Amino acid sequence: MLSFFRDGFYKDFIVLLTLTILLGTGFSAGIAWALDAYFGDTLSDMIGEYGQYDIILHIQEASKEAAFRELERIRDQHFPGARLSETITIAGQANFFFGLPEELRTKEVMANLAAYFAAVPGLNSHTIISDPSILIRSVHGSVFDELAAQIEQLPGVKFAFADVGNMIVILEDPARSKELEAEIRKLLAEYQLVELRFPMGFEVDTAQVGEEAIRLLEKELPGRKYRNVTAAQYGEDLDAFLKTLVEMRDFLLSYASKVHITADPGVYLIVGEQIAIQAQSIRPLEEGGILTDDNVVIEITAVSGSEAEGMIIRGEIAPAMESLEQTGFRIFSDGQIAKPIGQVVVENERYRLAYAIDESLRLLEELEVLSVQANDAVQNADAVLNTFQEALLQLEVLQVQMRQLNEGITGKGASASSEQLLVTLLVNGLFQSLAQAAVQAGEDSLGSLENLDVAAMRASLDQISQQIANVQSIDVQAIINQIQYVRDTLPMLGDEEIGRSIRLINTYIAGQVIPGERIQIMVEDGQVDEEQVEKLLRSSLDNPYLNIYSTSVGVINPDARSEIFRLLTEVRAIIAGLLAIVFTGAILILDHATVFSTLKYLRRVSRARTSRWQRVLNPVLFLGALLGAVVLAAVYRLSGAQIPYLSHGTIALIGAAVGWLVAKFAERFSPVNVKEFTAGQALGLSNVQIMREIVIPGSRPGLMNLLNRWKQQF
Amino acid sequence: MLELKNIWKTYDTTPALAGVDLKVRQGETVVIMGPSGCGKSTLIRCINRLTEPDMGDILVNGDSVLGLSQAELMAFRRKVGFVFQQFHLIGRLTVLENVMFHLVLAGFDRGWAEAQAAAALAKVGLSHVHERKPDELSGGQQQRVAIARALAAGPELMLWDEPTASLDPILVGEVLEVMEDLVRTTQTTMVIVTHEVSFALRVAHRIVLMDQGQIVEEGPPEVIFKAPVSEIGLKYKKLLVS
Repeated sequence: MLSFFRDGFYKDFIVLLTLTILLGTGFSAGIAWALDAYFGDTLSDMIGEYGQYDIILHIQEASKEAAFRELERIRDQHFPGARLSETITIAGQANFFFGLPEELRTKEVMANLAAYFAAVPGLNSHTIISDPSILIRSVHGSVFDELAAQIEQLPGVKFAFADVGNMIVILEDPARSKELEAEIRKLLAEYQLVELRFPMGFEVDTAQVGEEAIRLLEKELPGRKYRNVTAAQYGEDLDAFLKTLVEMRDFLLSYASKVHITADPGVYLIVGEQIAIQAQSIRPLEEGGILTDDNVVIEITAVSGSEAEGMIIRGEIAPAMESLEQTGFRIFSDGQIAKPIGQVVVENERYRLAYAIDESLRLLEELEVLSVQANDAVQNADAVLNTFQEALLQLEVLQVQMRQLNEGITGKGASASSEQLLVTLLVNGLFQSLAQAAVQAGEDSLGSLENLDVAAMRASLDQISQQIANVQSIDVQAIINQIQYVRDTLPMLGDEEIGRSIRLINTYIAGQVIPGERIQIMVEDGQVDEEQVEKLLRSSLDNPYLNIYSTSVGVINPDARSEIFRLLTEVRAIIAGLLAIVFTGAILILDHATVFSTLKYLRRVSRARTSRWQRVLNPVLFLGALLGAVVLAAVYRLSGAQIPYLSHGTIALIGAAVGWLVAKFAERFSPVNVKEFTAGQALGLSNVQIMREIVIPGSRPGLMNLLNRWKQQF
Repeated sequence: MLELKNIWKTYDTTPALAGVDLKVRQGETVVIMGPSGCGKSTLIRCINRLTEPDMGDILVNGDSVLGLSQAELMAFRRKVGFVFQQFHLIGRLTVLENVMFHLVLAGFDRGWAEAQAAAALAKVGLSHVHERKPDELSGGQQQRVAIARALAAGPELMLWDEPTASLDPILVGEVLEVMEDLVRTTQTTMVIVTHEVSFALRVAHRIVLMDQGQIVEEGPPEVIFKAPVSEIGLKYKKLLVS
């Protein structure tokens, strides 16, 4: 075999091998680069060039014209020289790139960049895409400033700023990205957020229990710093939302009709089971029948022995009905009515409330009328009292006169004139008896009237008048209007809507962690073991339901753009790797298989007799393996190929395997024309001449064939 | 001129040649005959080492062929014309190129080589097919081109490996005619392997009969075919008589 190469063919072969490697490298790297460039350009059109833009504004498509005008205004007013361009619109969302001029890429501007665009019409959200940068997601508020300060101290970091709970670290040089990422990871590892979660309904004084937990941790797990950062917890919005949902559910439940079920003996009800009642339907329910729209379906929410509670999830009982008692039936999923289960009582809470409101409205209307009437009555009483007082005064005067008259008649008192005496004499006979009676009676009555406490009566009247005035000052009409409004809105909540809403809320809540009270403790200068802390605090705080969660204070997120471009680079490397393998296989088949089959022929006809082992360990196969390994490893390395999980050694092995197989089946790929070859030998041609003039020109077209034309004489 | 000493060749476990000794004098035409598989072709291919013998020695003009270096072997082969049973022409080359290309590759002037080739082709009666490709020729013509190729370099020794075996019987005559003419008009030493008994009888100085890898009888044709001593010789005699 060596003589074959020694004959001069080795030069041709070395040239071929070198060119094979160079061509393979160019082929693999070139195609991969072309693909990379194509996809890279496409991506750049979509997401901008690296470092070209700082923010993407996601705008509702319908508002994009107005938004663009506003963005132009903002640019001209605040960021002269900034780049603004519209990119693709996806799913009704237009996207605008905004890139700041270098001199405006400061911490102050970047930290407030989103705020500048807050009033852009149709703005849904934004994404900061400044490059080079590192994005740290969900940085805990309690350590944000401290962490930002530490990160800004790192060489290569320009500044760090907050963006919707995340921290964006702007770098000076993209080449240092990985290195700085590692540094920031180290800083983040200095912190650990330990969260103590108590079950729902478990009331905890977070400050006190937090301090207690810290005291325990400091004692049992010393060497670290502990800080109660409960107040600075993130996710409060979600907690508040969930709590609001729970409250809303309870509120709706209080409005829902109360369903009480008494199961017949031998009937067992389960939570979640659905029961039907006839409700407003004219046809009574019966086993085997089908539910109609007028029937009501109830879902059992609680069971206690033969008693159960439920809520209406379909249909309505009559709105004007306070309560309803009917026989309940089980129903199958297809709406078919099954066996009766017992009595179902539905109490319409909304009807009762509406009734109470109606009565309140009537009361208020009556109260208003009553206050007016009472005021009139007080005024009348006052007038009566004045009249009474005046009458009383006149009576007193008359009483004096009568007394004087009486004294005159009876001769008692001072002497009188003759005319007076005449009058006295005239009336004396007529009135004497009357006067005496009147005086007597008048004295009795007047005494009684004088005993009346008019002042006290007036004071009482004044007080009543004042209270009536107070009542009249109340804006009863406003109260009536509001109650009327509540009354009017009540019928809008049907049992079915309430039931469905409650189920929906329950479904949502079921997918969430509904926090009870929770305490967050920041651990610095070292980490603690979650299980160890849980065990310690559960026993020390005497709460077996306490759960401990440990999280990082922030997570470094790969920058989306860098990630895409990194992915592209990886894809390019993978494509280059695959192409290198394909190329190696192809070139070995097209070119080298000819050499292998020639060598195998020469070996077959050689004088040396071969043993069985020599036949098995055919050096041509080893040469094939060696060539495959060399070509593939070289092409793979030079083209910058990189297939995940395949080291360069593995790649060389793959090349060797390909080369071995090509050599093994070389005669099938490129058979030697034995007649022509033998003719060449018989004519005294050297091996290299035979190769150049006979074998290679007659072989498959390939690089070797192409190169051979330079030296081929015929 | 040529001497084969105790030549052995085994394919796997089957001996093709089992200790063959043969001497050929300068200018002599030796015809080797024998049944198929008796080792004739192996023997003739061993002479220019197209097949490497396992044992023995081959001397040409007193020099061992088996001891030649690669370059010496090539030089030796250039002096030996070899005509194959199946022509062994280069399919992609024209007739003229087929005849001249080894001369050019041997370092001769292209013009001279072309003239030599043309003369050789003329000698075999194919002056009119220079630019044709071998597959455009009949079997007999192809074999004549192969003969011209062997003759072009002016060989000292011509080896013929059943040159008519793969020809249609109608075409055999034209080839034998050329061969006979060559034998008669040149003084080249020739070793011919053939089954053509009458041809052997006409051209051979000596006939060598082989069977099972061994030479069983040799001598002038009139002796071999008149009074053969070997079983093979008897068979050939019967064939000749019939």
